[in-house]
Amino acid sequence: MGAARAKPAPRDEGARLGFRLTLPAQILVLFISAFPLLMQLYISVTDWSPLSGIGWWNAWEMWNSFANYTDLAADARFWSALKRTAIVMIVCVPAEFLLGLALATLFADDFPGKRIFYSILLMPMMVVPAVAGYMFFMLFQSGGPVNDILSTVTGTRVTIAWLSDPALALIAVMIADIWQWTPLMFLILLAGLVGVPEDQIKAATLLGANPWQRFVTIVLPKMKTIIIIALAIRVIENFKIFDTLYIMTGGGPGVATETISVYIYKVTTQDLIWGYVAAIALAILIVLSIVAVFAMKRMARARQVAA
Amino acid sequence: MSAIQLRNLTKTFGDFTALKTMDLEIADGEFMALLGPSGCGKSTTMNMIAGMEEPTSGKILFGERDMAGVPMGRRGVGFVFQNYAIFTHMTVRQNLAYGPRMRGAAKAEIDRRVGAIAELLQLTPLLERNADRLSVNILQRVAIGRSAIMEPAIFLLDEPLSNVDAAFRAVMRTELKQLQRQFRQTMVYVTHDQLEAMTMADRIAVMDRGVLQQVGTPLEVYNNPANVFVARFIGAPGMNLLRGRPAESDRGLVVDLGPLGITPPLPDELAATLRGARGDVLYGFRPEQVALAQDGRGLAMPVTFVERIGARTIVHLGQGEGAVKAVFDNDVGLSIGQTAVVAPLSSSVRVFDAASGLAVRVG
Repeated sequence: MGAARAKPAPRDEGARLGFRLTLPAQILVLFISAFPLLMQLYISVTDWSPLSGIGWWNAWEMWNSFANYTDLAADARFWSALKRTAIVMIVCVPAEFLLGLALATLFADDFPGKRIFYSILLMPMMVVPAVAGYMFFMLFQSGGPVNDILSTVTGTRVTIAWLSDPALALIAVMIADIWQWTPLMFLILLAGLVGVPEDQIKAATLLGANPWQRFVTIVLPKMKTIIIIALAIRVIENFKIFDTLYIMTGGGPGVATETISVYIYKVTTQDLIWGYVAAIALAILIVLSIVAVFAMKRMARARQVAA
Repeated sequence: MSAIQLRNLTKTFGDFTALKTMDLEIADGEFMALLGPSGCGKSTTMNMIAGMEEPTSGKILFGERDMAGVPMGRRGVGFVFQNYAIFTHMTVRQNLAYGPRMRGAAKAEIDRRVGAIAELLQLTPLLERNADRLSVNILQRVAIGRSAIMEPAIFLLDEPLSNVDAAFRAVMRTELKQLQRQFRQTMVYVTHDQLEAMTMADRIAVMDRGVLQQVGTPLEVYNNPANVFVARFIGAPGMNLLRGRPAESDRGLVVDLGPLGITPPLPDELAATLRGARGDVLYGFRPEQVALAQDGRGLAMPVTFVERIGARTIVHLGQGEGAVKAVFDNDVGLSIGQTAVVAPLSSSVRVFDAASGLAVRVG
């Protein structure tokens, strides 16, 4: 019989079975994530475009020795799009976070009509971003409701050209983003807030901590993990801001609201230089990956401390 | 200053009365246990003393000072929660330092006080440890230390031992009692475990369904329960109670228990009080204060069950309304089906009015 053959240790056996069982899923994941990534990497070092008359797999014939990356480094439009995206992120994420946190704190306690307000508050999040874009497009017309309200408040006829003024268009876009995504922040933070152990808050109160001290020393540290998750989601999503913005301004006037996604979209559909697009996309992927890794590291540390 | 007075304290939640006109005085430096089954109002009482809940009516006084409207952070009470409520995201040191830090004490002052309290509670080697991975007895000491550092005149403990396994509970009981001796503060201790109350408290307030039943030292409550509830609740097993009617016999006043026969004669003072009384009474005696009657004068009852638990033997006698338990220090050699003749020790017999449930007091 098999006396001479050493039996594999049970642990090995288990690991091997696990590998076999997950193999189909692993292959699927490989196709979904690794394949497009490699394809992108491949195309990004060529001059390939759908108009070049050859299949993408033959793109090596158009090898351009990293010219796309050197072009990108010198592409002023790319850098200003990146800067605009950063501005949107720097304004919107903290605004959404602070508003969401304030609302979550409010909703952690009971008050009359809470459920109705709760539903109303969550609605913006449910709106299809394209529809939200159309709504704000209408709201910010020079003869639109926003100016009407401002006229009523100030008592003079206000006709601000929100979406065609390069200085104001980005502000209008950011207002739309904050309107739509504060609810998500609120929802995540509320979940974190109700998870803060109540008796620890009571203990802090009995030890003489005032509400602000309780918030800073107990509530915030306990919510650290969830705050990092919420911020990471919004930073990454904000980086990709597109649909609402595109419908409101189309990236204009001129390039005044051209964020990185809009820029990529334009290069892809108008200039059709796909090798270059692939290079931009990869550069952004690297930036976002750094953000994600950083967030995950902070999260792991926060969890260790807060547990 | 640190005496507590509860006057006519009532708390209702909607239609539910959690506490009904409670009057209680807790002396300065006293260890008072609030004892009762769950839902008896003991925690509500404690929460009102701490200021976590406002009384519906009635007053709470610390010394002479009315506590109405004084927020919980300003009452100067230390509170130890059932699960200790340690700040798990901090170190032991940060936990201990929390109170003084929130009150804006100077760094050096905080360090000095933390050092002193840690020394007292033997927490010094653990100061830099994270509080999320500590054993229960250390958690308890941190919880006590965190309150004690504020030097509160009053300490409130909400079932601090209920999450601890039985063996460990004995250790922590001793530890707690020693701590109270060190701090000499007024302690109010909420528990549903009579053993904790009996072993640690100077006095016990027994509560049931929002009503204070009796206040007394552990032995008073054990020996002279004020009513049927206390009689049954205190003691393990609780007091035996048999329904009957006082009757004269040639040996003195006895209680006629109907089918169970008549009891041995009642002690003279009790007989004197009871003589001429009308209505049914409950004849009560502790299971531990029963002897097997050698002369056949006692209650003859069939043995229905015998529990031998090492040091003691619990014998179950009779059935239904007439069931009693007897506890003997040694194995008395009774087995199921036998008939035992038991006689309660005359001094231990207590009689309760069957209608009101109140103890018939001698004198």
